[in-house]
Amino acid sequence: MTVAMTIPWLLAAVPIMGAMLGFVVWPQPDKLKIWSVMVTVLSLLAVIGTSGQLTVPAEGLLFLYLLPLAACVSLLGQPVHLDHRLAWVMTLLFLGLGLGVLTSQLVVSQIVLVVLFGLVTFLLYWHHNPFWPKSWWGIGTFGLGMLCAVIAAIAGPPISSIASLLACAILLPLVPFHHGYVPALTRLPGSLPSFIVLLLPAIGLHGLVAVLPTVPDVAVSTITILALVGALYGSIKALAQSRVRLLFAYGSLSFFSILWWFVAEYPPVISQATIFLSAVALATSGLLLAWQVVRTRYGDDVDPRAISGLASTMPQFAVLLSLLALAAMGLPPFGVFAGFMGMLLTSSLTFSAALLVMGIVWLAASWYILDMVQRLLFGRQRSDLRYEALRPSELASLLMVILIVIALGVAPASLFGIENQPPRDGAAMESVSWNR
Amino acid sequence: MESIDSSIDIETRRMELRGVVRLAGEVIAQYWPMRTFVHHNPLHSLEYLPFEEAVRRGKQFLGGNGYLPSHLYRSYLRSGRIQPRHLDAALTPLVRDKHLTLGSRTVHHSEVIRACLAEGLCMPIEEPLDAQVDHDPHHQLIKSLAGRLVPVLTFPGLHEKIQSIAREDQAALGRWITLSHWCDETLGTQIVGQINSELIKWCEAFLDEGHATWPMPGREKGLYGAWKDLAAQEWSPCGIVDSRRKISRLPEYPEDALLESLDALAIPTELRQDYLSLQLTALPGWAGYIKWRAEEREDAWQRAYPVGLVKFLAIRLWYVRELVQKACHEELGIDGQYQAITAYMQRHTSEYFLRRERVAGRLPAAYAEEVDRLRHQKVNGWEGLIDRYRTDVVPRQDRVAWQGTAKRLRGLALALKIDPAALLDSSPTDLKQLVDWMEAFPESDHGPVWLKAFETGYQDQLLGKLVRARGTSATPALSDNQAFARPHSQSVFCIDVRSEPFRRHLESIGANETYGFAGFFAVFIRYRAWGKEHDTEQFPVIMRAKNEVREIPRSYLAHVVSKHQSRTKMVHAGHTLLHDLKENVVTPYVMVESLGWFYGLPIIGKTLLPSLYHRWTALLRRIFLPPIATTLTVDKLAPAEALEMLAAEQQTTVRKALQERTGLRSSRITPELVEGLRHWALSGEGEADPALMKAATTARLSTEALSTVVDALRQCYEINQRSASRQKERITRTGFTLEEQILTVDTALRMMGLTKHFARLVLFCAHGSTSENNPFESALDCGACGGQEGKPNARVLAMMANNLKVRERLAKNGLEIPSDTHFLGGQVDTTTDDVQLFDLEDAPPTHRADITRLLEDLKEAARLTSQERCTRLPDIATTLPAHKAASHVRQRSVEWSQVRPEWGLSGNTAFIVGRRDLTKALDLEGRVFLHSYDFREDSSNRLLEVLLTAPQVVAQWINMEHYFSAVDNEVYGGGSKIYHNVVGRIGIMSGPWSDLRLGLAWQTVMNGDVPYHEPMRLLTIVEAPLEQLEKLIARHEMLQHFYHNEWVHLVALEPEEGVLYRYRPTGEWARIDEQAGSG
Repeated sequence: MTVAMTIPWLLAAVPIMGAMLGFVVWPQPDKLKIWSVMVTVLSLLAVIGTSGQLTVPAEGLLFLYLLPLAACVSLLGQPVHLDHRLAWVMTLLFLGLGLGVLTSQLVVSQIVLVVLFGLVTFLLYWHHNPFWPKSWWGIGTFGLGMLCAVIAAIAGPPISSIASLLACAILLPLVPFHHGYVPALTRLPGSLPSFIVLLLPAIGLHGLVAVLPTVPDVAVSTITILALVGALYGSIKALAQSRVRLLFAYGSLSFFSILWWFVAEYPPVISQATIFLSAVALATSGLLLAWQVVRTRYGDDVDPRAISGLASTMPQFAVLLSLLALAAMGLPPFGVFAGFMGMLLTSSLTFSAALLVMGIVWLAASWYILDMVQRLLFGRQRSDLRYEALRPSELASLLMVILIVIALGVAPASLFGIENQPPRDGAAMESVSWNR
Repeated sequence: MESIDSSIDIETRRMELRGVVRLAGEVIAQYWPMRTFVHHNPLHSLEYLPFEEAVRRGKQFLGGNGYLPSHLYRSYLRSGRIQPRHLDAALTPLVRDKHLTLGSRTVHHSEVIRACLAEGLCMPIEEPLDAQVDHDPHHQLIKSLAGRLVPVLTFPGLHEKIQSIAREDQAALGRWITLSHWCDETLGTQIVGQINSELIKWCEAFLDEGHATWPMPGREKGLYGAWKDLAAQEWSPCGIVDSRRKISRLPEYPEDALLESLDALAIPTELRQDYLSLQLTALPGWAGYIKWRAEEREDAWQRAYPVGLVKFLAIRLWYVRELVQKACHEELGIDGQYQAITAYMQRHTSEYFLRRERVAGRLPAAYAEEVDRLRHQKVNGWEGLIDRYRTDVVPRQDRVAWQGTAKRLRGLALALKIDPAALLDSSPTDLKQLVDWMEAFPESDHGPVWLKAFETGYQDQLLGKLVRARGTSATPALSDNQAFARPHSQSVFCIDVRSEPFRRHLESIGANETYGFAGFFAVFIRYRAWGKEHDTEQFPVIMRAKNEVREIPRSYLAHVVSKHQSRTKMVHAGHTLLHDLKENVVTPYVMVESLGWFYGLPIIGKTLLPSLYHRWTALLRRIFLPPIATTLTVDKLAPAEALEMLAAEQQTTVRKALQERTGLRSSRITPELVEGLRHWALSGEGEADPALMKAATTARLSTEALSTVVDALRQCYEINQRSASRQKERITRTGFTLEEQILTVDTALRMMGLTKHFARLVLFCAHGSTSENNPFESALDCGACGGQEGKPNARVLAMMANNLKVRERLAKNGLEIPSDTHFLGGQVDTTTDDVQLFDLEDAPPTHRADITRLLEDLKEAARLTSQERCTRLPDIATTLPAHKAASHVRQRSVEWSQVRPEWGLSGNTAFIVGRRDLTKALDLEGRVFLHSYDFREDSSNRLLEVLLTAPQVVAQWINMEHYFSAVDNEVYGGGSKIYHNVVGRIGIMSGPWSDLRLGLAWQTVMNGDVPYHEPMRLLTIVEAPLEQLEKLIARHEMLQHFYHNEWVHLVALEPEEGVLYRYRPTGEWARIDEQAGSG
């Protein structure tokens, strides 16, 4: 076994082992949280330390750096509470699995992906609520994802390509396969939504880069249509939401749909797409963490209509939330803007229906995100609500997200190991001639 | 016969409705247009109620708080501004003689409710159901304590709670909430917002007074008629289906439309008044302005475009009925009627409860989603959901409530300096007793207690000062036998609180005496300044004017007047041209490109160098348009002069008509032609006389053209007998007869107590202000002059008092003014403290030295006043030297970004009616209205009667305006100036679309988040015998309302005893202990 082959195991093992060891301090949630955060830092160090020996995927090493960071901020943003322990451990476990999928090769990667799908499915079932029958759609979709991953591992092309594509459409949500992504973001507890909002799409894009050259043209055409429909659908659904997490889920769905369109239509944009995806996912993660700040104070079940006037009582929070909102809306200098402009300039896109749809998505996002922020931060200051300023860990968590999203917007892509590269070698490449 | 009965019946119903609307309008205050900002009590119409009750009504209808937030009062307690003894005294009526034992400590009821006040223990806190952070580090104790409360502190079951809510809401419907409001709270609609938005749109367009570039068409039909015509052209406003047909079919009369809507909504007759009040209070600003306009029948805009509350309500209720019907039908499948809605609440209590909680955001997220699903799918799962809620949520809510109560008990223990752990040893019954005491004194009841304690603190301080000053100064002289040293000057200032520091400083500089008097100086005039086209009403808004005064150039300046007029016209034409270019549809595009750069100069100047820019522009103005000396038409015209003036005005109009209607050049318009036409137009029907025909022939005008011009003169230019009679009456109102002048001077001097010992110079000093970019500018001017500068009044009174004939007659009346006494009119600028004296050329040469000395003293007083005022301005940390202070206040007055050019009347607290000797040595911090009054000159009580029923009313309105603007600036105040936009030249909106903002801006009364104006009810201190005051109170219902309903506190200084007495709401006098007032 060469060093290069062992590195994926090492990267996956650090957080998974950390999750296992976490049970040692299970009765002490404060220590468990600290431990979990430390494990994510160790994972990041491990990635940095081994990055020179890793096989660099087409989308670069950005996801490998961002996943431990996203896990770290997700954990930091959580309050110390007994109910969150499982979510912390699961976050580490997911981190391990995610790093495993991104760094390992072929069959191993597919097996790890099956495990990942299985875990998400299990968690969705575990947190199923009779009031929310849509959880079943999520369970079904991730079940389908698991099946696709298995088929992709055992079948040959073109079935494996189609199965891989479907799995990618479930991970990096594409209408109508978004029914797993939305419940995962809205129903999973604690730190998980804010982490998997990056994890699942990142794995999806990673798989997509490999599989896209192998899928038939008709499938690509279908993807472009679905992507545009999905972008509009996500925006409209987000506009209609009164629930904050659903709003974020559908909002990010519309942005990911734009990404699908670009990747399908202009495959060379993959480097910019990586930045775009990372920024969208992290901005959404930050918004979820910001909403978690509210839930921490007013209960998991709080209705956003009941909260207002936070700007004067929680000024730090107000500033950070506003910055995150600006990032999520796609304004400069944040990564969403940089990624989108990168994709736009790399492609030879002229005025078309797609551009119109993107404009609508942009405008809609400005509307629903600002509306949500305005309702939370401004309006009547309720005298019967207890207001509590951000705690240091919450502040650190939100601040880190903002800094990362700014870095994605202003730092050179080469810093993240992203370069325009040809698709990597792999089994799927065998069907290139069949494809086009 | 039947049709006659029906017509009588309809008319009766209309009359009844108008009466109901009038009563319904009581809850909203009149809103004066901003050009004459009038300080007024926003709850003025409710002054017949006790203050606390009126505040409750204000909360009910307007949603406004009547007291400061408790946390501010608590901060006053911590800072010592509220004394604990005053708080205890205010609490005394609420204390019950009960106690219990906690551990070894006996706890009295009084201690508990005091702790509630001082620590905010009764503050309603919504404990979150599943908060994941522990706010309280003592959660173990709280948990245990909550456990002990479980057996004794029980909550009503969900069923009872739901039933109770439904019952209460049924009772409130129509009384406390409107049907549209109910829909919003139950169905999640936004009907109130939609209707407000529509009404703002229509009111803004209809009530515009020349601000809009394109005026609303059809306004002459009145609000209802104009709306009906235009709204019937709109496409489905607010989503109302078939709106065009519905609106076009509405009755012709607004009363009928309103009745139709009330019938459609099935509002019970007994609820209609309250219901309409609620509708009016949804937009109290616009409704208040309409109320004012409707009562000002002589107002030119009202005559041209009539508006009234009935019309307003007819429109509003039409939207209500349509939208409520739509919402109820679509959401609930019921009619949008009062009975149908109450029946729904009665029959579907669970569904109603869940919907209501969902809209209020009080349901847990999963339940909220389920409610949404049930709503959208219109399936019947409400009972199942409520069962789940009962088993899942209610126990959590109970647990949270016990913990919340335990937290409050812990807070109470700490406040009473008891170890909280001792609570665990107390019996649950005792704990329950404590909880009951606390709950019986909720936070909403704290306001009146805090206010009393707050007021007592200040009153003690002020009365203490008066007592001490009386102790150190000489005993009031009740006889005239003292030696008299003639002062250098006597200056009469407005009673305005801003005069107090100036008077104090002026007195401190030299032998200057000062007096306080309402700033219109008893001169009721309608005034037109030179070169202006509109009159201003220079008297309190509660009065009416009989006389008009005009400012005219002095006769020796006749040669420069025409030059001045032509230049003024040029300036005016330039302004008009620029305005038209800016407002035109096309020209702004070119304007911006070509002239836009020139606007950069004023922008840079006003922003970076405001003082310098102001000086330069003033200099340029003086060079181009030099001011000319003027005088006032104080003496009434003789009948012949009046006719001459009328003829001159008519001739000007005829000339104008000839030019406009026939295009005749002015050179061809002969005096014969003008005069002939004037006579023909005035004479009614008939033929043109031969002289006119000859003149017409010379001017090449046909007979037909002449007839057309005459018709136009009669109909369009108002050259007819009726108008002539009206104009003549107006002209004869100009000036005062000798008798009127004597009466005015006599009244003014006697009321201010200036009847003897006149100085060589007597100054009537009015006040005005200077500020830039300030829609509230008139709020800084003189309230007694209807929100105008008081300059004309001061000049008029001085001219009258200098009239020798007036003096002769006054002497016969026993008011002898020495021949060497000269009266001057002047004005102090309250923003810069500069004083300007007028008509100095009328002063005798013998008084030059006196005037010079007075000017120097005024200048020095101004510097000292500026210095004192600067210490109160929030952005100045240190005491500025006098010259810097003077420069600073001038700078503030010309800064266009300055939201607070001065504090204005903020801080006002008391009204002292008495001799200056009472307050002369005191620093009253610019918080007191001072009216000079010498009871010895008022044996008949007539003067005091006027003072208490006029200046005191003005002071009370000012006080209440500030009070309510400070306690709830969002509802009763004007909000932040930052967002203000002028609308229709009548008022202010917040942002681009809002109700007209009532009251004062945030920056006027608040300093950051704390009030600069300490909101307290007015304290009136009168130096007069008690029995005299009693007689006046018995005679005037208004005074009874003030004192018995506690809108104003009255304290009398009994002159004979030299003792202070407080007037109780019960009508009794209570002697004020001197120690108590030592504050």
